[in-house]
Amino acid sequence: MKRNLLARIALYAGLTIAALTFIYPFLWMASSTFKPPAEVGSLALIPHDITLDNYRTMWARAPFGRALVNSIFVATTITLSVLVFGSMTAYAMARLNFRGRPALNAATIAVLLIPGQLTLIPLYTLMVELGWVDSYTALIVPYLFNPTAILMLRQFFLQIPQSLIDSARMDGMSEPRILFTIFWPLSKPVLSIVAIFTFMGAWNEVLWPLLVVREQNLMTLPQLLTVFALGGGAGSVGVSLASAMVLVVPVVVAYAFLQRNFIESMAGSGIKG
Amino acid sequence: MPSVSFEHVRKAFGDATVVEDFDLTVADGELLVLVGGSGSGKSTILRMVAGLEEVTSGSIKIDDRDVTALPPRERDVAMVFQDYGLYPHMSVRENLSLGLRLRKIARQEIDRRVTWAAGMLGLAPLLDRKPKQLSGGQRQRVAMGRAMVREPKVFLFDEPLSNLDASLRAQMRIEIGGLQRRLNTTTIYVTHDQVEAMTLGDRIVVLADGRIQQIGRPIELYRAPINRFVAGFIGTPPMNFVDGGLREEDGEVFFRAEGMSIRVPHENAATSKAAESLTLGIRPEDLRLNASTTRAEGGPAGDAFTGRVVLVERLGGTSHVHFDVVGGSRMMASVLNDRLPDVGETISVGVPPDRVHLFAADGRSISNSASLPS
Amino acid sequence: MRAEQKSGSLMAAPYGVFLLVFAVYPIAFALVLVFLQWDLVTAPAFAGADNVRLLVHDGRFWRAVANTFVFLSIHVPLQIVTALGLALALNRQLAGRSFWRAAFFLPVVISGAVVAILWSNLYATDVGLINRVLVKLGASPVPWLTDPRTAMPAIAVMVTWKNVGFYVIIYLAGLQYIPRSCQEAIEIEGASAWQRFRYLTMPSLLPQHILVVTLSTINGFQLFIEPYVMTGGGPLRRTYSVVLYLYNNAFAYQKMGYAATIGVALALIIGAVIFVQRRVIGRAEAL
Repeated sequence: MKRNLLARIALYAGLTIAALTFIYPFLWMASSTFKPPAEVGSLALIPHDITLDNYRTMWARAPFGRALVNSIFVATTITLSVLVFGSMTAYAMARLNFRGRPALNAATIAVLLIPGQLTLIPLYTLMVELGWVDSYTALIVPYLFNPTAILMLRQFFLQIPQSLIDSARMDGMSEPRILFTIFWPLSKPVLSIVAIFTFMGAWNEVLWPLLVVREQNLMTLPQLLTVFALGGGAGSVGVSLASAMVLVVPVVVAYAFLQRNFIESMAGSGIKG
Repeated sequence: MPSVSFEHVRKAFGDATVVEDFDLTVADGELLVLVGGSGSGKSTILRMVAGLEEVTSGSIKIDDRDVTALPPRERDVAMVFQDYGLYPHMSVRENLSLGLRLRKIARQEIDRRVTWAAGMLGLAPLLDRKPKQLSGGQRQRVAMGRAMVREPKVFLFDEPLSNLDASLRAQMRIEIGGLQRRLNTTTIYVTHDQVEAMTLGDRIVVLADGRIQQIGRPIELYRAPINRFVAGFIGTPPMNFVDGGLREEDGEVFFRAEGMSIRVPHENAATSKAAESLTLGIRPEDLRLNASTTRAEGGPAGDAFTGRVVLVERLGGTSHVHFDVVGGSRMMASVLNDRLPDVGETISVGVPPDRVHLFAADGRSISNSASLPS
Repeated sequence: MRAEQKSGSLMAAPYGVFLLVFAVYPIAFALVLVFLQWDLVTAPAFAGADNVRLLVHDGRFWRAVANTFVFLSIHVPLQIVTALGLALALNRQLAGRSFWRAAFFLPVVISGAVVAILWSNLYATDVGLINRVLVKLGASPVPWLTDPRTAMPAIAVMVTWKNVGFYVIIYLAGLQYIPRSCQEAIEIEGASAWQRFRYLTMPSLLPQHILVVTLSTINGFQLFIEPYVMTGGGPLRRTYSVVLYLYNNAFAYQKMGYAATIGVALALIIGAVIFVQRRVIGRAEAL
């Protein structure tokens, strides 16, 4: 019994240390943004002199407000498109017979097997040739469809009974109407999974914006953050971390409320993708 | 006026033909049952009427209007599905009314029809529930209600009772029959269960491999099956079959097989007097069991043979006696419980000649003795 | 049905076009670019096998490939050990399991750019948190990101830290798949905790091991934002990654043909490494 108790104490102690390893750096980051430069190096989480100077400086030196709007706009547009157009595609691929369906299925799986680095440069030159560089179009259009999302939605749609489609057709519904009024209400779990990983992917993406956007006012948050930190614009640790907070806080807030969905979503998409 | 007519309807998926030359007219108000095993094409035919499946060739008319190329919503038919096809996220009321709302029918009329159908089906207290909160029988009623409120020209039932347990199935079968007679709406009913077919159908169409085997009133199929398939398919417990041949002796015709020699009516075998190989069929309920008799050996007794009992299944009202024909095949008799033989006992099995069916090697019936009741 | 055909084609057509433009065309054009010299300003010129020849003899490219293998040799084993360890801990009767799980998963949802900036500060030689702790414990500070010997391992540890929560979830799913009856059977046979781990848990998790190895390897080859933000590829090019080199060729040097050639080579190397890994794991399983 005694040995058992000791083992449990050790287990919880180990877990606590592990959890701190993952959480403490973020807490330290958050607290550092409220510290004056002299204090930033300290391990303490509660600042002696709380200051908002880091945020003021960060906000004044680079268009973070604009970047926040850009990021929200780009990630939201992409997510809506992946949900709406992606589920239309997935519905057709799962439940409608049409010529070219097998080819589309095969192509989708093949695309997922190709590493993104292979197509990065040709996609970039395509943006240059289309004149899309430095535009929202370049940030959004290449992400309007997501093959992983389509496969996940298709898999889910395949399990919905045929009789629901038949009933809806007898009731006189068109195919898009069946999708949005019958399939969507039944697909909330998979839709939320797709929404989260699509939004997170778009929100955190940095390599693509670095390639196709140079105009500061069009930059997304992670891009501006990177450019700001690298260009020495921050000037101090506190300011640079404060700019990172703009990117992190919305995600952490959402994660706090929806952590189960986040974990399911991001783990699920990673395994499929 | 014919309500639904099929004209040489054929359906193929790629190279595989699943329905071949389906040609039939369903009368107004009739309940027609399509019965067959899986792969017989019965559901495909129903789905072609509904417009859920395309007709490869031929045409389908509803009330003399060619609907072959029309989408489901323009055909004025309603369908009840095996797994009900109820929208899980909608209440019973919404499920019942959706089809009417989509057809832009007036609010009051929708309410009237929903109330009417709910009243008839006993669904009134359940209108605000979701399908998940209903029992199997209740879901079945909602599915029927959804078809009823449409007030269609034709009802289509696709194995509506298959997902119910046995006692509920018997009850719902009676309800469907009663409802159909009351509404007097033309109905096509698909099932694999021949009991449903026999009890519900005004007429039955037996299907196998996409082809019509026989069309007729239930009693016709039972008394005069046109081939061995129909004979084996219709009737529970299933008909006994014995392979053998015919022989003429002293002006009489006998069916001969290992362990038995049965006299068959003369006119029966008139066409095939030769001793070709054929099959005798006799329903379990037509066999007569007698206590073991010491029958004179050798001579053709003509209306009985001997068997040894291997199993007696007591069902209550009747019992199934399984026995081996001496030197021959296993057969089964369905008898009343008055006097049951014991396992191992030797019994004499009587065969009324007018109940004997004979089938040629290709399965065609060659008897016409099993005449219909007038 | 005809109507179904029509709806199906209409609903799938936009995606079909998308695939053609943003997947099929780029893949095909990547192979074309390998034979072109193009700075996006002047017209592209046919370059024959120049790009390929250059790549074969390009010390920087091979340096980047070698760096990646250094990264993988630390990252992959460390990722398996930490993820498996945490998953085993979480797989017990535990209070607040979802809290622990959420804590481990937290870095996964955070942008790689943020993590890189944060860890630049944690690793900083003079004021970095890690060195402060070391000094408090009486050790001397380590120039983590400026010493060529420690820079790549430091990045590998950081990436492992960022992703471990993801792999914990994978292992947890695998552990929950081991039938209870198997665990009870091996306990009844009197196996020690180590024997249970060795003869039941490890072999049962083979699919998860394969997944973790494959995904963390692909992830390693895609290393970009970490060296870009933290080291710029230095010191002594010891953290230069293949994607960083590809990015610089396209963005800084405007050599589209060569950058695309690097992309194609990288895809081939990833394919080859995954193939070899599968063979090795397959053989190990057969033993």
